[in-house]
This record gives sequence, structure tokens and C-alpha cells, in this order.
Amino acid sequence: MAINLKPVDVAVVGLGAAGGVAVLPLARAGLKVAGIEAGTWMDPAKDFKPDEIHNNVRGLVTTVPKAKKEIPTFRTSPDAQARQGATHPMMNAIGGTSIHYHAQSWRLKPWDFKSRSETIKRYGASLLPQGSTLEDWPVSYEELEPYYDTVEHEVGVSGKAGNIQGTLDPAGNVYEGPRQREYPMPPLRTCDFLDHMHKAAVSLGWKPFHAPSAINSQPYRGRAACAYHGYCDRGGCHVRAKNSTCFTTIPEAQKTKNLTVFDHAQVTRIVADGNGKVTGVLYIRDGKEYFQPAKVVLVSSYTYENTRLLLLSKSKAYPNGLSNNHGQVGKHYFGHWDAQAGVGVTALFPMDVNTWYGAMLSQGVVVDEWADDSFDHSGLGFIGGASLCSFMEKHPIAAASMSTFGRAPAWGSKWKQFVHENAGRWTTSYLQTNSFPYENTYLDLDPEVKDPLGDPVCRVTSGPKENETRAAVYAQNKMEEWFRAAGAIEVVKGQPFGPALSTHTYGGTRMGDNLETNVVDRWGFSHEAPNLGMLGGSVFGTSGARNPTLTMQALAWRTAEHLSKNWKAIAGS
Amino acid sequence: MASDEISRRAVIVSAALVPVVALAQTATPSALSDAQLRLVAAFVDRLIPKDELGPSASESGVPVYINRALGDYLAGEKTAFVEGLEATDALARRTQNAAFADLTAAQQDALLTSMDNGSAEGFPTARAFFSRARRLALEGMFGDPYYGGNKNFAGWDLIKYPGPRLATSADDQKMGVEIKPYHHSAYGSADHGH
Repeated sequence: MAINLKPVDVAVVGLGAAGGVAVLPLARAGLKVAGIEAGTWMDPAKDFKPDEIHNNVRGLVTTVPKAKKEIPTFRTSPDAQARQGATHPMMNAIGGTSIHYHAQSWRLKPWDFKSRSETIKRYGASLLPQGSTLEDWPVSYEELEPYYDTVEHEVGVSGKAGNIQGTLDPAGNVYEGPRQREYPMPPLRTCDFLDHMHKAAVSLGWKPFHAPSAINSQPYRGRAACAYHGYCDRGGCHVRAKNSTCFTTIPEAQKTKNLTVFDHAQVTRIVADGNGKVTGVLYIRDGKEYFQPAKVVLVSSYTYENTRLLLLSKSKAYPNGLSNNHGQVGKHYFGHWDAQAGVGVTALFPMDVNTWYGAMLSQGVVVDEWADDSFDHSGLGFIGGASLCSFMEKHPIAAASMSTFGRAPAWGSKWKQFVHENAGRWTTSYLQTNSFPYENTYLDLDPEVKDPLGDPVCRVTSGPKENETRAAVYAQNKMEEWFRAAGAIEVVKGQPFGPALSTHTYGGTRMGDNLETNVVDRWGFSHEAPNLGMLGGSVFGTSGARNPTLTMQALAWRTAEHLSKNWKAIAGS
Repeated sequence: MASDEISRRAVIVSAALVPVVALAQTATPSALSDAQLRLVAAFVDRLIPKDELGPSASESGVPVYINRALGDYLAGEKTAFVEGLEATDALARRTQNAAFADLTAAQQDALLTSMDNGSAEGFPTARAFFSRARRLALEGMFGDPYYGGNKNFAGWDLIKYPGPRLATSADDQKMGVEIKPYHHSAYGSADHGH
């Protein structure tokens, strides 16, 4: 029998990038919030080291017991047997994956929110991706803009505006939607290689700019500026310059005394009453089961676990899983076609590029002409494209594991000679392709594989996509052009195979006005269970051609603010 | 700007690297036998031989790295790795009538080539084992010396990696200039357990 806890106003399941932001407006509004997190606090002095074996080879910052025991299974067709991989892409900790992410902090484009109607308008319905379940979002860029602005300032984002209220500035991204004001901090430091790539892009007639990032380019709100030490990837920041929610919004919310953090607490079910309202969550801590009653539950445990938790939470009112009486939970899922999906381009230069240090994608130069609908797609046979990013930070084992580009064997003295000359001369790039939901791609519960509690893990089915493959290949050719213009002597392009388990996944509890095809409404609340809200990538209807975190955070803030302003209507009496 | 620099440095100093003492490895029994270690040394020395560019893998502690890893973090992999070593030696005895470690460099290279391209007869997992052994050799050679390999920073010097630091300047990111190597482990500059 579960131990009953003192009721709270709002239970937030998962204190990562999204939940860790939502707690702040809730706590400021005076609501009593329980932040329930499977992981715990990490200590920058002890846990974050400039050590490739610790961070990257062994994944000791990211590999944590809970996530490891519930890795989703994966298959590429409904007829295939889904298999479980070795690692979960996400982690459990206070701050979640915002601890070790690359921190590029983008706003999606106005086009991303209405890709369907804009495509039909400009090219006709025949260019819509075949088999896709694409809808316009119920929210426009313009409606989300104030929340983007709030989060950029609360979390702390460095960048250069390209469009302030319609005035374009080519130092920033001229393809972005209009913003009300400049970023709170300038972009991270540039350096020789980035200047070199910038110049090469300009020589092609493109408009490169420095990536926006949730990393301090200068001291901000009592935290230090980036030290560019080069161990940002899969590591946390030793000087707290990366604005992970454990350093920013969560401690800020704790100051109000309205947020109580429950760590090491693994939520197993969301409980609903006979009328279809949720009443709280069950969690396990140190082998004991607790029931946390709450007037409202916000679920922010990442795409896979958001979906799994709903499907596992069956009740009289929801026999097929919470908020799933229309069969939409798990549908419209999709992964991002990025480096994790094989969309890579690597180059060898005739000179040392010295990309050892830096701050991963956040210290990067981006080209956006070949993303979204920034170019004419007539006759191309696809919509979307990809953002192209050239960036800093390379670790020694990865550097020595380089492709020999067919110029040397893979071991022995000739190989030694090759890596001696070339380990400092190669670099790679990061491409993110606009990705869309499809009928052949969805999440459900695995019929066989279970976690140690006996609950089925999430099963990912992700079929082939012609639109994204074409867009990715098109963008890879543009990246090759950029590297060649910068003087690369060899360029190798990856084979886009499509996303498997990824840190960029979307849908499963999609947001939309139509309750026949969407799980949550335009505010992020369930169409079926009125006091259940969903946060994170699981509500997205499109990916954009860029990292999702800032959009998750803007939406999380908006959902939380909507809740506090409409408390009685949503929470009931 | 100057005050920004000062406050940044202050924070960096306060988050100084973890003291070596706190993380010193305690002595654990060797995962591999002396004979197995001799085979590992011979194997990795063909991947990363001693030459005019610097010391070999075994001179740089790569077998120490592999032995330690199989004793702790990779303990679950030890059985499979030892089976791979035994199969390598069996292949050497079958085709060359001698233990792998006793073959000439040219014979060892021929044998490793057959493993690398999957043509080694009677050793169906040769390719996977070769690839895993190569991967572990790279980890030992180019990883932090704290783990037992990369002795005297030979791996980092070979590829001209200037070493981990807690902060870098714009000058450290310049192209076309030699960045002065910083011979420090992430865990301090002592002998890293050698």
C-alpha cells in the first residue's frame, strides 16, 4: 500500500529541460509544487571533468541507473522484432539532459508552425510528404514569441538577433522570425577556424552567423562566462556557464519556498478518478511506494517516458492508457534527421584547424539558407532542408579514431604518420533536417521487454522517409560545397539511415485543436483529462531544422503560466 | 571587460581540478595473466609500433589501460576478451606454429591483417575482436593518463593534442600556430598510478 503524502497544487514529473523551467512560473504564482525527479543533484566540482573516457567513452555523466533499465526497443517496420539497445539517449538528474546537452538555443521558424498550410499555399498539396500526418501547430510563432523572449532571459541565452521587429541584421540570422529585442548576451567567442568557415560561406553568397546558445558569453546572473575548455559534449559545466535548469530556473523556483524537490523518486503511474480527472502520481523511492496527491499533474519526462507513463496509467476512465480514449498517445512520433540519423559530413583540411577546445555546437557558425522554406523547393521533390553548423571541440580519442579518407591504413606505422599529420586537420559538421510525423512511425508498449518493475518499456517503430532522406542529401551536398569553399581536400558524407533512439524526438502526445488527432490542446493540457498537462518534445508537431530545447522551454513556460492564470478552471475545486 | 576576466578566473580557480589523492586507484588483482598481458602487448604494438614518431603502445601503458579496464569498468567484457586473446594465439599456433607474441613483426602483421579483414580461418569472430582490441588500444593511447595508458603523454603528443585545461583563451584556438602542450591529467600532474 502506497504511503500517502501531503497534497500539493501541482506535481511536475521530471525536472529536466522542460519541467525544470515550468516550476519557476508556477512557484512564482504561489502554487505549491512537488518536483518529482528520478535522478538527483550533480556536483560540478566532482561530476564534471575534462576527461573523454569519463564523459564520452564510458558516459559516466549521462549513464544513470533508471534510464539504463528502461531503454526503449527499436525497429524499422511493424513486422520486425524490436530490439533493445545498450544506452538510453537521455539521463536522470535534476536538470536532466540540459546538464550535458550542447545548449544551442533556437527559436523555431514561423514556417515550422504552419508547414502544412504554407506548403499547400506555395507548392500545392502534392509536395506534402507522402504518408505524413502533418498538421499546422495550434500555436503560431507570434503567439510563442513572448515566451521565447522570457526564457531567453530567465535561462540566459547568448546570440545575435537577425530580425528585431522586422529590421534585419546580417550579423544574426536574417531567416529567423521577428523578435521583440536583442538576446541578453552576445554570441560566444569566435575564433580562427570559425572565422575561416564564416568567410567561406560569405564567398558562396550565404549569410552565416554565430549560433545562439544557453551558455554565458559573459558573467550572467551570478554565474561565470564560458571557459571554452572543450569538454562540453556529454559533460556538465564545471563553472556553471552552461545554463542547465539545475543552475538556473530550479534554484530560482526553490527561492520562493513553493517548490519541493523529491529526488530519487521514480514515477510509475499517474492516477485518475472515475470522472477522468487525475488525482496525483505514484512513485517509488528506496523500494517504498508513495502517492503524491496533486490538483494538477504536469508530465515532463521526455518523449519516450511521457508516452510510456500515459500508456501504463490505465484506469476505469482510461482503459487504454491515460488520455488515450481517442487512440492518439504514441502516434505522430518522429525523430530528428540529424547526426544521430547518419546525416553527417566530415572534412579533411591541408592545415591544422585547431578545433580541440571550445564549446561544441554553441561555439559554432551556422548557415540557414538551406533549411525550412528559406529557398524555393519547386521541382525538388521535398519540403524542408537542414541547418548547417561548423563547430569547435574535439577530443583526442575521437580525433585519433578519424577516417583515414582512403589515404592510409587503419593501424601500424603508416597510420601513426597519418594521424600525426591529420588528427588536428579534420573536422565534422552538424546538420539538422526538418522532420515530420508519419503513419509508419509511432510509439507503443513493447509486448516482451520489461523494466525491473515488470512494466513494459517503450517500443519505437520508425519506418523509411523519402522526404527527409532527399532533404538530408540535398543539405549534405551544400555542406560539402561549404567545406570545399573553405579549402577542404577530402569530404566524406554519411548515409542518412534515419533516426533510431535519439535526444531529438518529438510527438507521442501531440498538441493540436482536433482531439481526434491530438492528445493535448493548444495550451498543452489533455483533451480528455482536463488537469493533466504535457511538457517537452512530445507535444511538437514538427521538429524544425534546429535543436528543440528552447522551444520546449518556451512552451513549458506558457503552459505553466496558462495554468496559474486559469487555476480554478483547470484545477477545479 | 577586465573585470569580466577577473571574475571568470576567480570562479575557475574555485572549481579547481579534483586532487589526485582523492581519486588514486586502489590496488586490485590483475584481470589478465602475465601470458595474456604479453600477448596484448605484442598485439597493440603492431597497431601502434615504436618508430621515429614515438614510443609503442606497450611503452605507453596501453596494456595497463586494458588490464585495468577489464578489471573494473569493463569487467563484464573480460570473458569475451580473453576468449578473443586465446583465439588469436590459437590462430598463431595453427598457422605459424608459435605463440602470437613469439612471431616476427611481419608474421604478426599478416595475422592481424587476416583478422582485420575477416579472412582468418577458424576464427569467425576475428573481425569483431580485432575491432574491439583496436578501439581499446586507442582509448589507452589517447585517453587520460589517469587510466594507466598515454604514459608521458605520448598519445597526445603524437596527434598534437595540447591537453585538457580548465579554461582556454582565444590564442589557444588560433589556427596555424603550435599550441604549447600542457602535460597534465584531468586529475593532476602526478604519476597517474604508473
